[in-house]
Amino acid sequence: MDSSRRQFLGAIGQVSIGAAATVAGANSASAATGSASDGPQPTGPKWGMVVDLRKCIGCQACTVACIMENAVPEDSFRTHVSVYEVVKEGRDPAMVMLPRLCNHCDEPPCVEVCPVEATYKKEGTGEVLVDASRCVGCAYCVQACPYDARFINHETQTADKCTFCIHRTEAGLLPACVETCVGGARIFGDLNDPESTVSKLLKEHEVSVLRPEMHTAPNVYYIGLDEALDGRVAGEAAYRPPLTTNIDHHEEGR
Amino acid sequence: MSTRRNILKGAVAIGALGAFAAGYAEPVKKITRGKWSGKVPRKHLTGNAPEPEYKVAANGDIELNPDQAVSYAMCIGCTTMCGVRVRVDKANNKVLRVTGNPYNPLSTTEFLPYETPVRESLVALGQPGAGDGMLHRSTACGRGNAVLDQIDNPRRVLKPLKRVGARGSGQWETISFEQLVEEVVEGGDLFGEGKVAGLREIRDLETPIKADAPELGPRANGVVMLSSVNDGRDNMNLRWLKQAYGSTNYARHGSYCGGSYRSGSGAMFGDVKKMPHAKPDFEEAEFIIFIGTAPGNAGNPFKRIGALVAEARSDGKLDYVVVDPVLNHAQSGPSGDRSRWLPIVPGTDGALAMGMIRWMFENDRINKDYLAQPSKKAAMVAGEANWSNATHLVIADETHPRMGKLLRGSDMGLELAEDAKAYDDSDPYMVASENGPVPVGDQPAPLFFDGTVEGKEGPVAVKTGLTLLREEAGRLSYEDYSEACGIPVETITGLANEFTSHGRKAAVNTHGGMMSGSGFYNAFALMMLNTLIGNLNWKGGTLMLGGWYPDTNGPAYDLAKVKGGVKPKGLPLGRNVPYEKTSEFKAKKAAGKAFPADGPWYPNAPGLATEWFSSMVNGYPYNIEALILRNANPIYGIAGIEHLVPKLKDPKVVPLIISIDPFINESTALADYIVPDTVMYESWGFVKPWNGVPTKITTARWPVVDPKVERTADGVPIDVDMFLIATAKRMGLPGFGDEAIPDKDGTMHPLNRPEDFYLRGAVNVATVGGSSVPDASDDDMMVSGVDRIRDQLESTLKPDEWRKAAAIYAKGGRYENKDKSYKGEQSAHPFGKPMLVYNEGVGSARNAMTGKRSPGVPTWREAEFSDGSKVAEVYPQSDWPIKVISFKSPLQNSYSVGAKTLLRIVATNTLNIGRDVAESHGITTGDRVRLTTPGGSIESVAVVRDGVVPGTVAIEHGFGHRRFGAADITVDGITMAADPKQASGVLQNDLGLIDPTRAKPGVWVDPISGAAVRQGLPAKIEKLA
Repeated sequence: MDSSRRQFLGAIGQVSIGAAATVAGANSASAATGSASDGPQPTGPKWGMVVDLRKCIGCQACTVACIMENAVPEDSFRTHVSVYEVVKEGRDPAMVMLPRLCNHCDEPPCVEVCPVEATYKKEGTGEVLVDASRCVGCAYCVQACPYDARFINHETQTADKCTFCIHRTEAGLLPACVETCVGGARIFGDLNDPESTVSKLLKEHEVSVLRPEMHTAPNVYYIGLDEALDGRVAGEAAYRPPLTTNIDHHEEGR
Repeated sequence: MSTRRNILKGAVAIGALGAFAAGYAEPVKKITRGKWSGKVPRKHLTGNAPEPEYKVAANGDIELNPDQAVSYAMCIGCTTMCGVRVRVDKANNKVLRVTGNPYNPLSTTEFLPYETPVRESLVALGQPGAGDGMLHRSTACGRGNAVLDQIDNPRRVLKPLKRVGARGSGQWETISFEQLVEEVVEGGDLFGEGKVAGLREIRDLETPIKADAPELGPRANGVVMLSSVNDGRDNMNLRWLKQAYGSTNYARHGSYCGGSYRSGSGAMFGDVKKMPHAKPDFEEAEFIIFIGTAPGNAGNPFKRIGALVAEARSDGKLDYVVVDPVLNHAQSGPSGDRSRWLPIVPGTDGALAMGMIRWMFENDRINKDYLAQPSKKAAMVAGEANWSNATHLVIADETHPRMGKLLRGSDMGLELAEDAKAYDDSDPYMVASENGPVPVGDQPAPLFFDGTVEGKEGPVAVKTGLTLLREEAGRLSYEDYSEACGIPVETITGLANEFTSHGRKAAVNTHGGMMSGSGFYNAFALMMLNTLIGNLNWKGGTLMLGGWYPDTNGPAYDLAKVKGGVKPKGLPLGRNVPYEKTSEFKAKKAAGKAFPADGPWYPNAPGLATEWFSSMVNGYPYNIEALILRNANPIYGIAGIEHLVPKLKDPKVVPLIISIDPFINESTALADYIVPDTVMYESWGFVKPWNGVPTKITTARWPVVDPKVERTADGVPIDVDMFLIATAKRMGLPGFGDEAIPDKDGTMHPLNRPEDFYLRGAVNVATVGGSSVPDASDDDMMVSGVDRIRDQLESTLKPDEWRKAAAIYAKGGRYENKDKSYKGEQSAHPFGKPMLVYNEGVGSARNAMTGKRSPGVPTWREAEFSDGSKVAEVYPQSDWPIKVISFKSPLQNSYSVGAKTLLRIVATNTLNIGRDVAESHGITTGDRVRLTTPGGSIESVAVVRDGVVPGTVAIEHGFGHRRFGAADITVDGITMAADPKQASGVLQNDLGLIDPTRAKPGVWVDPISGAAVRQGLPAKIEKLA
């Protein structure tokens, strides 16, 4: 790939550095989670997600369901599926569909940079949330997130991101993206419960996380994640078409 | 692939956006500005997300949200028509979001037993449900959710429109429903352009539509109806057009969708009109070849296949190969070698298939136990699940009057039963034996025979069908096949080896990739691979649709027949009958030269909407007077049709065009009148799946929101059903009005509004098939939102019926339980007719243009034009070195561009260019390029990919619109400006070819199936400055 093409497509091309972190199982996963689970043995759930990349068909059902469920404003996504054509030595080109969302880290870099304590990690269940009534929209957290999972909502002028659909999980339901995952790639549940589907998957499979070198202790795990893609989270990618009109861009657009 | 990179060259994001968000603010400025510089959302943590539709406690108790309804209805965002659960904001009459109906197999792999109460179905989907709420996970796809936008689309047609000025001008006026009905029925000087005949006048069932050609039927055949797809309302259309109005000309969009596949399959399944087809048993197969179809990327049923294949390649037993010119979502890198991509030259799938067939014969890898069974009885004796005509003898004697037909008892002078006629069903097919031909019996028969037998009028050369197939496969060498399809010989034979290494637990599956100039034979050859391993009706092999619970013909009401109805007569507009039936043939034969006909005929094809347009502009075989389009968009969908559009704009060619459509698409734009239609969750209907579900299934649709369309003077929403009812009543047609629908006792019931038809259909669905569903309880109706239509149910139906109909709507249809899929190792719903290794209809027909016969067995044929000349000779590779194909994505289809959420994810299409083409033309990603075929030229942006076979350019379908929101719309003098986003991208069909060998203009179609050709178009490319 020549340099002009790479530039056109954004920051892509070379393999990212660093091996994918392998997490042996749910027990070690929750043991490794550190800060959030300090103290007495937890009684309630701690939410986590396993994304089985073998089952993702790249249909964007999650992307659209999330937009519908959470009224996500134009030009932003709380989750979506990046689609890659990967070419490796001695191999035919292959397709990889990579669902991405907030990793609800146990060591969330976004929390400590918030000057007004608007963003925080919820005790127990562990969602990383933004209290919009406190947020001033400074976007430090947007910059701090290694997963490019935050944005400034141009309607509210506050930081916005995936909540693991906390309003649904508190009602005994599942996150919108999980409910509607056509391939069954998104598996959601209680990491504290060794009998939960997610805990069993973590025990049975070798899993990886995105950006392992950032040591964020994410709660979103991937089955079948190629090392070549574990760093592929920032605003790289796709051919973006020339705009055919003056779409009403939010001022804060790039 | 020749392009091996010596390092990991990169991961190129294609298709969907890679980035989450456009950007972020300048921090310091923001802090000084203070908080709440924007709009305050509903909640501090969860923004404007609505309250959940219900709550479920850990013990399974459900608390409904009184402000929302959760109803099981049907999505019509694509042709799959999944059963979904629709979440409605009651106060605002607005659908908030859609997920799947857990009873419905199209949305749910582990669908719930039908007897599960509705309340429990909601529990199953929450955290207390099995598998933490994910065992019965029931989904809607991205498009399925996004097309909700269409309900509130500001460009939606809500009132009847009449054109102002010239046809296609984009200027409209609103008229009342009553004026609409009067004008289209009575005709007159409707546009100030002279008199236009109305539907009443055209409905002449006596006068021939063409003088001196009575075989073409009466003038009433001049009203033709093109309904894109059966969305559950086709029965009303058919009732109106055929039985009430009396025209024979009804077609759907198949001839510009996947018609060549269906025809190739139909030839093997023995019905080229209804075209049966099977699907792999995705859950139990060990090896599948997907070729020209892409599970998870597109296809029907989209979600079900996507989910089953994803599961099977991960936790199941499936390995598969995707044979396609373009790498797509059907392949899964993380699944490793379980999912492989094999690139192929566009339109050459038949070469691969025939190469494999040759190897299977040479290496004794055909299923002889199956193929040797010549009859149902023999199959039963042998424990086979099906049989074939592989052993039946075919007349292979050019001098014989029945050359190309199967040898029958009467050809041998056998005595027939008393009231039997020669060549009817009781005239036996013949198989070889040591003592000469004998009627098929209950024993296996010789697979191969090539010799001369003594017929009743002398010696006849005969061969078995399998012998003919073996000869055809052996006609070319492996090297020939390899050269044609671009796949190495060892890969062809290796694939054949692997395919035949799993017993019957292997399958070949295809679809829209067959729409090339060799499409029919390519599909016939691919499907024959299934028959050669005998996989039909076997677990792990190929399965039929399990069937359905029909709405029209049940024990309660007869909605299928029309008392006093018409039986339409005459040859169809699409010329899908033998040329030999025409007066033209007889006259030409009498004059000594029967061939060529004035235009092509397609005796082995179904109704052909594609060919209708050639017929219309040429008046051949006859002129028509009115075209009714129903949610159809042939002007967008048919490759090359743009060349015929100027003639369609002339009202003298087709004097009246009525479009029933919620939107002004490229075809609706040419209409004289537009009738509004209900969309998505506003209408009634019943469908069975296209295929791919092994159990019985009927999905029900009912209005879970109030339709936005205008009402008639009587207060009924205006849609296709109401338009047909009102016009029929005005003309006094049979089957509509106060005495229209007989119940089981013969008492007549009215058909004055849509629910008269559909609610009675629901009773049929509930009671058909020897068992009846339980009555819906009050709780079922409350939980499912069916309360909303309770008054209509009670007032329309009998006291003992309405709760049964309510049960159908409460569960969104009727579904056979999953444990009824198989009986032992065989399908519980087997196909009960033989596979035709040799199709005598195909093998004995003469091409109307060349007078020549075509093989009755699969073969590899280069693409041809209608006079038999090779496309590669008319447009040589030296001038046209590239082949162009189209493909579908999971998001966009031909009518979804108005769903703005989809354009957020993928805003346009590009030209996907193979790396070799790019390098030889100095093209890099992002360059603007011009792609030209003999049919047209388009300019777009190049994306260079390793995942495109050499010599090829691939274009995603669904963009390049000129209508919907892509052009200004003026109604009553007020203009809504175009939205350039909806005009984004290019349309591959603009590159489609007119067949240069047709004297009467028509687009390039496959010579057997008559289906439009869009795959493998010859082209050249240049980089623009």
